[in-house]
Amino acid sequence: MELNLGTIRSDLSGFNTISNIAKQTKDSFLNSIELNFSYCSFFEANMAAPLYSVIARLRDELNDVSINNMQSSVETILRKNRFLTVFNQPKLSDYNQTTLPFKIFKLTAGEQFNDYLNRYMKGKGIPTMSKALTKRFRQSLLEIFLNAAIHSESGLGIFVCGQFYPQKHRLDFTISDAGIGIRENVRRYTRRKVNSCNAIKWALAEGHTTKSGSQPGGLGLKLLKDFVQRNKGKLQIVSNFGYYEFDADGDFCDKMDYSFPGTCVNLEINTTDTSSYCLSSELNGNDIF
Amino acid sequence: MSESIKIKVTDLIGSPLCISAEDGQKIFDKVEKLLKEGKLVTISFENVTMLISLFLNMAIGQLYGSFSEDTVRTQLKVEGLSSDDRELLKRVVDNAKKYYANKASYDDAWLEEDENEE
Repeated sequence: MELNLGTIRSDLSGFNTISNIAKQTKDSFLNSIELNFSYCSFFEANMAAPLYSVIARLRDELNDVSINNMQSSVETILRKNRFLTVFNQPKLSDYNQTTLPFKIFKLTAGEQFNDYLNRYMKGKGIPTMSKALTKRFRQSLLEIFLNAAIHSESGLGIFVCGQFYPQKHRLDFTISDAGIGIRENVRRYTRRKVNSCNAIKWALAEGHTTKSGSQPGGLGLKLLKDFVQRNKGKLQIVSNFGYYEFDADGDFCDKMDYSFPGTCVNLEINTTDTSSYCLSSELNGNDIF
Repeated sequence: MSESIKIKVTDLIGSPLCISAEDGQKIFDKVEKLLKEGKLVTISFENVTMLISLFLNMAIGQLYGSFSEDTVRTQLKVEGLSSDDRELLKRVVDNAKKYYANKASYDDAWLEEDENEE
């Protein structure tokens, strides 16, 4: 089976294209699937993570997935960020060190993910950001990663990669899984038949969590949104049919044409931000409890 | 009351990273037992390099399911947190209080059903 990919950017159209591959290969088992990149003139590096959500599921069904006819500019991007190593192609040195390479983590690998961030956030091409911004960014990524570990039920792992865009002073980092999705989590928990966008909005509200047991939770995504607002960055959450985007201008959730098989969170930050990220004056123990 | 018992987070979880739910649960189990015995407890975050809300929900947020606000305020202290992490803890605590005060409606709030798609 041969499938064509167009240009893929980190937007609604890009996620639709990736989700369409999942749709076209829905019941595929033990097949040979060729992804034809000849119509793909640009591939935004961070989109390697959600693309792998689709590929991981196909490989899990013992399909043989290959990549063909890649234009050299796209190949350079995807070899630099080491995505093509999963297709046994050699990596290309990233001399500028603006890439946080594609990597597959097991669900239990929170500490290894932290080591990964330690290592690649120090790349010479990654700008020196304020201490407060660096900390909040890493905290946010760990919240997303651990959220995926708890909720996704994705035995296939968690797929990550990031890219710094020096001209725009933006750093994108994407964490994707091939799990059951936010809609299924919310449906199971609330026992109501909600659609993908309502499920994403529910999960974003402070205090909402589908974590089993009777612990409070559900702050991670809300904290993420607060951070993005302050930083004037951008947050995209894609899960099943829901494409949610939040930035300084507000938020929206569009229904996609095809269902994304898992959940993907893309966090884009403004690296020139010098906010302190400490809102109130010193709290003492009595104020906290 | 007797002297406060110090719980060193990094010693107990064997890592400077406070990121996993399991490690948060470890802290909760120790603290809950001591508070039940009426002990004063200080949780020390000294040498912690990373802290996220998920961990704090388990370690401290859950205490509001077992104890009154007064008990927690009287018997529990924290130390070694930077000012932004104290703020994070405050968010977690406020969230936990609201959660246990009104659990059912908190979970069900405003969710609309939608039968006509997907």
